Amino acid sequence: MTADYLLYESSVGYSIFKVALQADSVGNRLKEVQERSQNLATFGKMVDLVSFAPFQGASQALENANEISEGLASNFLMAVVEANIPKSKSKKSILGVSDKNLASSIKSSFPYIECETSETSEVVADLLRGLRQHAPKLLKQLQETDIGQAQLGLGHAYSRARVKFSVQKNDNHII
Amino acid sequence: RGGFGGAGAKGGQRVVIEPHRHAGVFVARGKEDLLVTKNIAPGESVYGEKRISVQNPPAEGAADGDAPTSIEYRVWNPFRSKLAAGILGGLADIHMKPGSKVLYLGAASGTSVSHVADLVGPTGVVYAVEFSHRSGRDLINMATHRTNVIPIVEDARHPLRYRMLVSMVDCIFADVAQPDQARIVALNAHLFLKVGGGVVVSIKANCIDSTAAPEVVFSKEVEKLRSERIKPKEQLTLEPFERDHAMVVGVYQRSA
Repeated sequence: MTADYLLYESSVGYSIFKVALQADSVGNRLKEVQERSQNLATFGKMVDLVSFAPFQGASQALENANEISEGLASNFLMAVVEANIPKSKSKKSILGVSDKNLASSIKSSFPYIECETSETSEVVADLLRGLRQHAPKLLKQLQETDIGQAQLGLGHAYSRARVKFSVQKNDNHII
Repeated sequence: RGGFGGAGAKGGQRVVIEPHRHAGVFVARGKEDLLVTKNIAPGESVYGEKRISVQNPPAEGAADGDAPTSIEYRVWNPFRSKLAAGILGGLADIHMKPGSKVLYLGAASGTSVSHVADLVGPTGVVYAVEFSHRSGRDLINMATHRTNVIPIVEDARHPLRYRMLVSMVDCIFADVAQPDQARIVALNAHLFLKVGGGVVVSIKANCIDSTAAPEVVFSKEVEKLRSERIKPKEQLTLEPFERDHAMVVGVYQRSA
């Protein structure tokens, strides 16, 4: 079973892709199939960008990064999912997500969405790998360096919050 | 010379810098040969290592009046960094070069990471993961002066937690010294490593199994990596710099 939609969380925002070309789980490990997701030209035909929702500044990005790391869906993510996945009563849409905790958070709020994770489906794992590799090119509103810059800022903010570290103060070692 | 130099590399005036076989690494030939990297934050040492400044040969077409520029290199001590020990031991391929993206697991205080940051240069990125808060502080401090280092204070066992901070990488370097090291490397590789990307793992036999013979431990670890679609290419002991350590280099393959 493969996904209809994919959720990709990056340092700049959330993006939802539609899977245009369903891959087959049987031949997934074949060399030819694997090479298809290596190449931007062929991978670009397999997925279509539905929506890209950028974070409004560093503090929102940090908030979302913290929630994502805990496997929780933030209100912002909920809104993005609700706006972009069609609500059909007869057929459930399948959303490919990286994390199984996040998948269960999403499933519990949206009864019309079924989730597949990288662990349950290797096809989804490969699609998400492809998104990570080609994201700077697939998100056309972005400059290629944007994701790197956002990662740098977010990495510092995230890590500092974890060690409760302040640049203003000199570090006081507790030994 | 202004203040630095000190005991070992005192023949400072007579040092000649040559590029190493691995791009981004250099050898300083003086009284004794030293492994060095080009300092991307000139003027400061990270952990008290020595620095060597050499005059740049004047660039082609430079006007006579231009001030001579100098390049600063930092000495990379193989007794303190396992990657340096591996390079001196003769690794054929370290899968890092200027411009590479490297995921560094077990970054500790960021001493080795700073050299990897020098190696990949301003166009490359080092994602430095360290779990310990205490070393994490030093790591963040180091990263404030090197903008190509992204510090991540998080458990490398749960790569999904930091998936928003990491792109696809060309190489994973791991020095985590944990019994489940192979599994940690594999989890990260499945998420973040490009197909054909390199895996460089430093294995401390004592940390995996202190009762078995080191050779047995190494071959078991290599077997574990192989089962996780990492094709081992070379293995090297880190003698004389470390005891009962091995460096294993592999290539990630997604297709069977």
